[in-house]
Amino acid sequence: MHRKWGLAAAAAAAALVLAACGGSGGGSASSSSAGGGGGEGDCPGADAFCIGLVTDTGKVDDKSFNQSAWEGALEAAQASGGYAKYIETVDPKDYATNIGQFVSGGYDVIVTVGFLMGEATVAAAKENTGIQFIGVDQFQAEEIPNLTGLVFPEDKAGYAAGYLAGLMTKTNKIGAVLGTDTVPPVKLFGEGYKAGALAANPSASVTLVYHEPNNAFTDPEWGAAEAKKQLEQDHDIIFGAGGLTGNGALIEIAKAPGAGETIFCIGVDTDQFFTVPEAAKCLLTSAEKKLTLGTKDLVLMAKDGKAPGGNYFGLTGLAPYHDTEAAVPEDVKAKVAEVIAGLDAGTIATNVTLG
Amino acid sequence: MSTIDPAQTDLGITDPDPRRSGPLDRVPAIVIPVVSVLLAFAIGGILIWLQGVNPLFAYQVLFRDALGSVDGLERTMEKSTPLILTGLAVVVGLRAGLFNIGAQGQLLMGAIGAAWAGYNFTLPPLVHLPFCLIFGILCGAAWGSIAGALRAYRSVSEVITTIMLNSIAIALVDYLASRPLKEPDQPLSRTPLIAESAALPYIGPIPSGFILALVVAVFFGWLLVRTTQGFRFNTVGMNPGAARYAGISVKGTILLAMAVSGGLAGLGGAVETLGITGRFEPAFNIGLGFDGITIALLARANPLATIPAALLVGTLRAGSSSLQFQTGIEPEVVSVILALTLLFVSAPIVGKLLFRNRSIKQTTVTKGWGA
Repeated sequence: MHRKWGLAAAAAAAALVLAACGGSGGGSASSSSAGGGGGEGDCPGADAFCIGLVTDTGKVDDKSFNQSAWEGALEAAQASGGYAKYIETVDPKDYATNIGQFVSGGYDVIVTVGFLMGEATVAAAKENTGIQFIGVDQFQAEEIPNLTGLVFPEDKAGYAAGYLAGLMTKTNKIGAVLGTDTVPPVKLFGEGYKAGALAANPSASVTLVYHEPNNAFTDPEWGAAEAKKQLEQDHDIIFGAGGLTGNGALIEIAKAPGAGETIFCIGVDTDQFFTVPEAAKCLLTSAEKKLTLGTKDLVLMAKDGKAPGGNYFGLTGLAPYHDTEAAVPEDVKAKVAEVIAGLDAGTIATNVTLG
Repeated sequence: MSTIDPAQTDLGITDPDPRRSGPLDRVPAIVIPVVSVLLAFAIGGILIWLQGVNPLFAYQVLFRDALGSVDGLERTMEKSTPLILTGLAVVVGLRAGLFNIGAQGQLLMGAIGAAWAGYNFTLPPLVHLPFCLIFGILCGAAWGSIAGALRAYRSVSEVITTIMLNSIAIALVDYLASRPLKEPDQPLSRTPLIAESAALPYIGPIPSGFILALVVAVFFGWLLVRTTQGFRFNTVGMNPGAARYAGISVKGTILLAMAVSGGLAGLGGAVETLGITGRFEPAFNIGLGFDGITIALLARANPLATIPAALLVGTLRAGSSSLQFQTGIEPEVVSVILALTLLFVSAPIVGKLLFRNRSIKQTTVTKGWGA
């Protein structure tokens, strides 16, 4: 009979809790929105400039794509006196639903983050010609007037990182732990890295490992395990590229003996010195897509009705050396800066193609 | 101490018998699920409240979005459809005394099988759609049968094998979608789109897959309660010793139950491919099989009760997007509520399992003396 009483007590507790929450939470419901409009999350009014951002299956604090794009959207909102809001996608089948929330909420610009959202974004842009869409990291094969694909020459960023790695290696073995090669930007990073390393140091051996397509960007354990494997095989400079998977590799490398002295890691997408502080110790630099800047610029262009259809190429480069500044010889720094300038000017070709 | 006391082999989730003496058997079957759901919502409410949002308002937004419009209802039906089927898959297993944790893997096999059958053939619609559905069922059934055969003929616990087969299925469909069945000339790992003739149509706003799932649930409600085959499943589940004594092939029934269970999960995957996604992509179908376990336990292994249980889960999933948009609550709160529901609904069952295990040990001792 005890359990029956337990159940009754549990039911009573549930009722109490529900009642208590109902009583005390009254005023806080609208804290996350500016009010007005039809629903709580809607754009506050016709004159307000509203930016909506839908994440790939990830969070706005993922220390990678989603976070950088969201920071760009926030900066654009601040610069323009606008209003920015995000939805984090949990199930990839909900891309269209989540974009639809911003469409029906009356938003002016909708930013969708990541290659995988490309098709849903194209479909939404075709259906809602009055709204400007920005597809971060989405290459546009076909030009749609109200959709701008923010893309980056990843092979150039990878090449610069690889060039630095090629000059810095002492064991003549360098590695990379990457997301899946079925996603072109990842493959461009990887192959560009390899090309740059071999250009700097033709005798170096370069090991690239790609994750399987499933969970390619959300598998830090795999990233750490692969990084460890490469370290055991005497790779002294390792590039980690692929969301949480790559971050897992960086954090593992930072734990290795000699990290920051003889062992180094290279991050990707954003300056990972700030986004993955756990890896700061070994972090030589990051093969950077200027994602925050690109998103901000495009949103502000969209505000003035000047966002171009088709693709917009953002800038790439290497992030500052930070803590490893002293470990990099001056002549290496100069040579790498020269290569980056050559890549930007088009005088150095990476010769990377997607096969 | 008898070795064939039904009260001890029963997991507490099959049909409650009013004459049985356990403390939970005196309360109506509906009480545990309802209390579990209420408790989960209450704790979920606290989490929402800690994020600075009135939980009653949040739940109102969630249910209004999922149920308050034609669009919302359509999404809720879409989300519930595979859940009814994976819930049934787990129910059929439970009836035969098998805990099928492998609905996820079986669903994946059905989903990719139906995708292949859907794009690889050109057939008239009246032939193509049933062919794809049946092919999906067979893929799931084959995958379930592996665990069934290992259990029936090698006495390997189906809990272990189905979990392991999930991992194998995930790796296998990844490989298939990224190599042999990959849509050519594009970078993503996914299959081509299915032919129009293989697509499950919509009847107005109602996805026909949803109707199919309801029909299947009703069919199993009849099969498990009113037919000889259903009686075999239940008897083997309640007491394999008595079943053998009564002339039922226990091994055959276990194998059949796992095949049927896998087939139902496979059908869930096929309906998802043919009705919603139109192709197979590894990132799709995440968690549908695992939600099936929650649903089956919430339904207390009653096939018809999987319908409301799946609708509840589908409603939560369908409403989570609006919940986030309008209140700023982390979308994971829905998963937390579902996990809590599973925890509460299974707590009494776990209690019974522990009780049963202790009695089995005692039984063994008795047996030793008897021999």
